[in-house]
Amino acid sequence: MTDEKAWIIQAQHGDDEAFTRLVETYQTPVFNLCYRMLGEPEAAEDAAQEAFLKAYKNIARYDRERSFPTWLLAIAAHHCIDKLRRRRYLTFSIDEDEERTYELPDRNALDPEAEFIRRQEQDHMHKLLCTLDPTDRAALILRYWYDCSEVEIAQALELTVPAVKSRLHRTRRALAKRYQDEAPEARAERRPYESPAF
Amino acid sequence: MNHRPFEDWLLDEKALASAEKRQMQAHLRECRTCSALAEVNIGLDAVRAVAPAAGFVDRFQVRLAAQRRLQRRMTAVGFAVLGISGLAILAWFAWPVLHGLLYTPSEPLTAWLTALTAIWATLQAWGRAGSVLLRVLPGFVWVSLVMAAVGWSLMWVVSLMKFAKIPQGVAR
Repeated sequence: MTDEKAWIIQAQHGDDEAFTRLVETYQTPVFNLCYRMLGEPEAAEDAAQEAFLKAYKNIARYDRERSFPTWLLAIAAHHCIDKLRRRRYLTFSIDEDEERTYELPDRNALDPEAEFIRRQEQDHMHKLLCTLDPTDRAALILRYWYDCSEVEIAQALELTVPAVKSRLHRTRRALAKRYQDEAPEARAERRPYESPAF
Repeated sequence: MNHRPFEDWLLDEKALASAEKRQMQAHLRECRTCSALAEVNIGLDAVRAVAPAAGFVDRFQVRLAAQRRLQRRMTAVGFAVLGISGLAILAWFAWPVLHGLLYTPSEPLTAWLTALTAIWATLQAWGRAGSVLLRVLPGFVWVSLVMAAVGWSLMWVVSLMKFAKIPQGVAR
């Protein structure tokens, strides 16, 4: 039996120490999901903490046949979707200069200029993500950051597999459209067909 | 070749063969829509995970402890509300009796005492009659009496069952 399985069983029997180990293990994936969903580190911290509290309350109901990270991420995704839906009714402003992110440092980055460009591109992608519908955003995040299959995304977001597929297609088309519309001249120099991916 | 298959390849993230890769590269040079889609795919793949600020687990434990305190307080408040509501309902139903007890206590007290005395007297009379019968009647009479009681009960039960099977007034 793996450590994780043992911790889950112990946590299901009320062992707080075991649950703390699960929090330690999954703090970054859960926080990252919340950050990508909500767009701000403070809101992401709060949402991640709440997601872990919900998981703690419902750990006894967790089916050990299912993947634990998918279950945990589903809780976090639903919490963020609810938060975003509630946000629509509130008016507030975000001072982007005050945003603080805790991106994991790239130990291999030797070229500061390349690192700066990479960060700029990631910020741009992050801002584009924040313009998406909450459920579409959650599907895309689960697909790209967590390598979740369409079946797992469907389970996590309570959708059908074809609905997930169509959402992923539609969302990426929409992102590409916005990407294209925003700064076409800025990207003229770096064409994707020059990337090793193609 | 038209635009559609390239867009589908990009959306499905298809693993391309070398000939398909060449075709894709040629198409991307011309098509801005597919080029943007390819850039989005690369961009999404490149975005890294963001970690929380140090001390996340400690903050979780503090929050969990606060949540537990709140839950305990809410449970206590819930029990208090339940208890007070129960007492209020009890007082509502008991008010006529309490009112009588408070203003004319002698009347209900006398009635209760009389009832208790009557019950006590009846029990005593039954006890005395039983002991007399035990002494006076011979054994076979007791056996016959018990058998008669059992037979009577059986007849009663059987007849009840019979009536219960066929509802009265309902035709077969």
